Order: sequence, then C-alpha cells, then structure tokens
Amino acid sequence: MSGSRDAVTAQRAWMEAVQKIGTPIISAVLAIAVGSLIIWISGYDPVAAFAALFKGAFGGPKQVGETVLRATPLILAGLAVGYGFRAGLFNIGAEGQLMMGGLLTAWLGVQMAGVSPLITVPVLLVFASFAGAAWAFVPAILKARVGAHEVITTMMLSHVARYVVSWLTAGPLKAPGQIPQTETLTTSAQIPRFQSIFPEGVLEALPFLDMGRAHVGILIAIVVAVGVWLVLRYTTLGYENRAVGLSPWAAETAGVSVQWTTVKALCISGGLAGLAGAVEVMGLHHRIFDQFSAGVGFTGIAVALLAKNHPLGIIPAALLFGALSAGSGTMQLEAGVSQKIILIIQALVIFFVAAEGLVNWFIRKRQKEATGGAE
Amino acid sequence: MLSDVITPDLFAAALRIATPLALAAIGGTICERSGIVNIALEGIMLVGAFFGTATVLATGSPWLGVLVALVSGVAISAVHAVASVNLRADQVVSGTAINLLALGLTGFLMELWYGHPGTTQPIETLPPVFSFGAMGEGFIGEVWRWINGVFLSHTPLVYLAIAIALVAQWAMYHTRWGLRLRGLGEHPRAVDTAGVSVARGRWVAVLMSGALGGLAGANLSIEQVGVFQEGFTNGRGYIALAANIFGRWTPVGSYLASLLFGFADALQIKLQPFRDVIDLPPEFFLMVPYVVTVVVLAGVIGRAVGPAAVGVPYKKG
Repeated sequence: MSGSRDAVTAQRAWMEAVQKIGTPIISAVLAIAVGSLIIWISGYDPVAAFAALFKGAFGGPKQVGETVLRATPLILAGLAVGYGFRAGLFNIGAEGQLMMGGLLTAWLGVQMAGVSPLITVPVLLVFASFAGAAWAFVPAILKARVGAHEVITTMMLSHVARYVVSWLTAGPLKAPGQIPQTETLTTSAQIPRFQSIFPEGVLEALPFLDMGRAHVGILIAIVVAVGVWLVLRYTTLGYENRAVGLSPWAAETAGVSVQWTTVKALCISGGLAGLAGAVEVMGLHHRIFDQFSAGVGFTGIAVALLAKNHPLGIIPAALLFGALSAGSGTMQLEAGVSQKIILIIQALVIFFVAAEGLVNWFIRKRQKEATGGAE
Repeated sequence: MLSDVITPDLFAAALRIATPLALAAIGGTICERSGIVNIALEGIMLVGAFFGTATVLATGSPWLGVLVALVSGVAISAVHAVASVNLRADQVVSGTAINLLALGLTGFLMELWYGHPGTTQPIETLPPVFSFGAMGEGFIGEVWRWINGVFLSHTPLVYLAIAIALVAQWAMYHTRWGLRLRGLGEHPRAVDTAGVSVARGRWVAVLMSGALGGLAGANLSIEQVGVFQEGFTNGRGYIALAANIFGRWTPVGSYLASLLFGFADALQIKLQPFRDVIDLPPEFFLMVPYVVTVVVLAGVIGRAVGPAAVGVPYKKG
C-alpha cells in the first residue's frame, strides 16, 4: 500500500520538477521557433540565420568569450529583477539603477587613481550597489508609503537616469576631446580580462584560452548569484522577502512588516542592478558614455522570468541571452537578418513564460501521449 | 520674458502634447475598469504609430493610416487579451512582453521594409481642421488670437480625444455597458452570477484600449511628427498609465491629468530658449515630464484606490 503511495508521490514530484525546468526550456524553444517563423516569412533562411548566430556565439574561444562577456551583466541584472519579483515587486527600472551604479563607478574609479586594486575594486563594487540602491529607494519608499506602483515610478526614474548620464558625460564629467564620455578608469580600478591574467606566452601556446573581451567579472556575478540564493533560502531576510511575495496579507498576519520588507527588497534589487553597472564599467567600457548600458536592465527582465526568478537558474538564462546577443551581429552580417529579431525572441520568451498555462497544457499533452492517455 | 512664455502657443502645445497621453490613458482606464492592467499601452502606441506611418508611406492617405493604426492597436492588444483573460497570465508581465515585442517588431520591420534603422521618410500629415486668419484689431483681435491659437488650431484627433473623453465618461456611468464594465473590475463574480460573460467583457475592454492606444500612436506619427522614429513613444505609455491613476480611473479625469502633463512638457519646451535666464543644462528640462509623473504618483493626490479586482485573473466556476 504505502509502496504505491510512495510511487505516486515520487511521480508527482517528478512531474513538478519537469514543469519547473520544462516550462522555461519549452518557452525558449517556442520563442526561437516563432522567431524562425518570422525570419522565414520575411524571406530569409532561418536555418542559415541560426547557424550564423550559433557560430557568432560559440564558433571559437573568442566567440565564447563574447557570450560570457554579454552574460556577465545580465546575470546581475537578472538577479536584480528576480529578487524584486520574489517579494512581489516588478522592478522594470533596473536600467536606471544600473546607470547610476555605473556612473558612480566611473567617477570614483578616476578619483581613486594610485590606490591598490585590492582596495579600489571592492570599494567601487560596494559604492556602485549603494548608488543603485539609492536610486531604487525613491520608488521603494513611494510604494511602501503611498502605494505608487513601482512599474511606473521605476520606469520614470530610468528616463531621469538616462538624462543624468547624458548631462554628466557631456558636461561636468566629460573627458577632454570631442566625444561625450568620462575619463578612462585607472588600471587599478579595472576588472582584468582573462587573457591578461595568463603569464607571457601562454596564449601563444594555448590559443584556445584566449577568450577575447571576457573578463573576471563573470566570477563576481556567479558568486553574487550563489549569495543571493543562500540569502533567499537560509536567512530571515530571504524568508520574509519570499513570504511577502507569496502573500502580503498572510505575511503581515504572521508579523512581517510588509512595508519595510518592500523597501528592503527594492533597495537590494536596485543594489544588484547597480553592481551590474559597475561590472560593465570596470570590466568592459572603463568609462561611461550616453547609452553605455545598452538595455541590459531590460534584458534582465527576460532573464529573470526565464529563470523563474531562481538565482541559480539565472546563470544559464543569462548565458542564453548572452549568446543571442553575441551571435546577433554575425547573424546580421552573414544571413542578413536584422539583429532586432533578438528583441522579438526575448519578448516571446517573456510572453511564453507568462502564459504558463499554454506551456503547461503543452507538457501535459505530451505526457498524455507518452503514457497513452493513462494519466 | 513672461510674455514670451505665456502665449496662445503654450496652451495649444499643452493640448497637443496631452492628446496621445489622453487617448492612451482613457484606453487604460477602460481596460483597468474591467479588471485588466494594461502596461502594454507603450507598445500599442508604438505599433499603431509604425503601421500608421507605413500605410501613409504606401498609400499616401493619412486617413487610411489612422485607420490602420487603430486596427493594429487592436491586433496587438488581442495578444494581451489572450494572455491575461484566457491564459490567466500575470498581466504586468504580459504587458511588458508586448512592449518589448513592439520595440523589436517595429525595429525589425523598419529595417526589412525601408532598409535602415532609425527614422522613416517624412509622411503626409493630417492638416488642422480649421484655418482662420487674424480677425480685428486691439482687444477683440487679441481675444480672437487667443481663442484661435489655443482652441482652433488643431488636427482632428485632438478634438476626437476630447469627444472620446466625454462620451466614455457618459457611457461609463450612464449605460448598461458602463455598469457591467465597472462591475467586472470591482466584483467579477457578481457579474458572472448575473449571467454576463466576464471573459467577453474583458476582451472588449482590452480591445478598446488597443484601439485608443493605436489612435494615440497615429496622433504622434501622422499628426505631430510626420515620420516614424524607432522607440519614439519614449515612456508615454507609462505616463498615460499614471494619468489614468491621477484621473482616478475616469475618462475625463484621465484627460485632465494628461493635460497637466502636457502643460508641464509644453512649458519645459518653451523655457528651453531661456537658458541664459535659467542657468540649467537642457537635460534638466527634458526630465520634467518624468519627474512630474513621479511627483504626481508620490501622492500629491493621496492614496489612489483602483478597481478592487484589477490584476486578478478570473476563473469561472
């Protein structure tokens, strides 16, 4: 008796696991399928397009490096959006918080010239997350005190951040020269590329180690992802965050302050976004200019949703979007398909994850077919 | 300086800038009254603006462009209706997906059809409805200059938006449709029990917001700018949502709130040339509408309470 019950429980657990991992995978596959359809209708060859995209993303060590490079800020931005989501908050203004993080990094990094990198790098990371958190504090306090919807306030503050950046890069923080951008970060404030940490001659002997522009920031991002996972799973902070996300009413009844948790969650979310900005500035651009963030904050939304807000799931999700981004240039060059198709695929991923019912129905149908309708 | 800023032109610009916001905001009001959040207004406007412009480029007819903008707004909002009504998806997430989809799709088609990103060729725009000249001199001439400048200098959709605000307000509070609509957002179970389909009522509301969002896009491209630019809705859909909240989920309230944003924006444009008097970088002026939105939401008005069932998917039975 109990044996069969165990079997039923095991089967149910297995099905839950299939749905948990299966939904994102099927969503991604469906999005790519619909994307292919759009490419085909537009008169291009989808197979050639995706072959070029794959080549651009994984065709060699430099291409893999580019994928890793693009995934790095996406992990952090995805964590930012995902952490907010776990508290029931939709922070679609990660882009603005990221810009503020990058801005403070670019300014402070120049000020700290001559200080040891062992001090500079951690200081910049901490201050950048403070800047992101501060930018998120305004929507946070408005949400908690007057119920202003964070979707609108964070988005509006992203626009404000964009103008702040373009003002500072063209005005007070502008480096000498024609181009509106800040001064280059001192070397001790930069996150090194993988290729630069190998001793002389190693890359000549082992060219497959040369990952181009990829930098050590990816390790920081992974460590932060694990950290966020531990916080959510094992700390009171994380527990309260999840409780409020699942049911604010029940959490309040159980003695959790919903308002205070909301403020903390949105600030932590902003802090993670600020970190994404810091890593982009310290590892890739070494300065800021108008539009330096290139929509990373928005792609972070898709990353978080695809990962179903799981901090560790965000790593593969970010790698997928990093690959799409890295390969899109090659796709445009070799197959002639506009890079904008990547935006469409991102949107479709979000849509299919949101329309979970559709995908679950699809999974159930497949399971029924597999078990001969005996479910 | 004041007489250079406070001109008929300032108020006319406020009305003009308010129009796309108001059209989208009234759409948002209808949608939210039915219990569905519509974050997708931004994308709906963008899609309407693009297909409207493409139609004018292909046929040379601005009116046909307006029609196609409306239809394409309805089409893209149908996606939101499927997701949020039938599949009971998270409405904010679905709306965000549509905004991103609109950005990608219009950018993609832009390159596919016109061979380059950025901006389309200029299109023929809808002319002002009236064209009166100066009349009289002295006091009468001045009064006429203001009336003509502020109220009689506009393109068709500016007037249509005012008419829609009034008609929607009336319909929402004095017709059976309006009663049901409000019921859908407050207590869908009650509407269902009364034998009215919640799903159908919500579908209609979402599609109506799509039609109004499409018109808002047409106003931007076919009346105001005369081209399509990638991503040129630039947050207006979100400002429209804020106007809907500020207007307390009523059509006329949404219109008046949009007018406030329109005035703030018109004022910052008017003030830009006075850089030597007001010593601020241009970016500070450009921020104004976004800052105003946040300040308005921050509770100049106190806590706004929306329809009780907004954002909650309804499951029959």
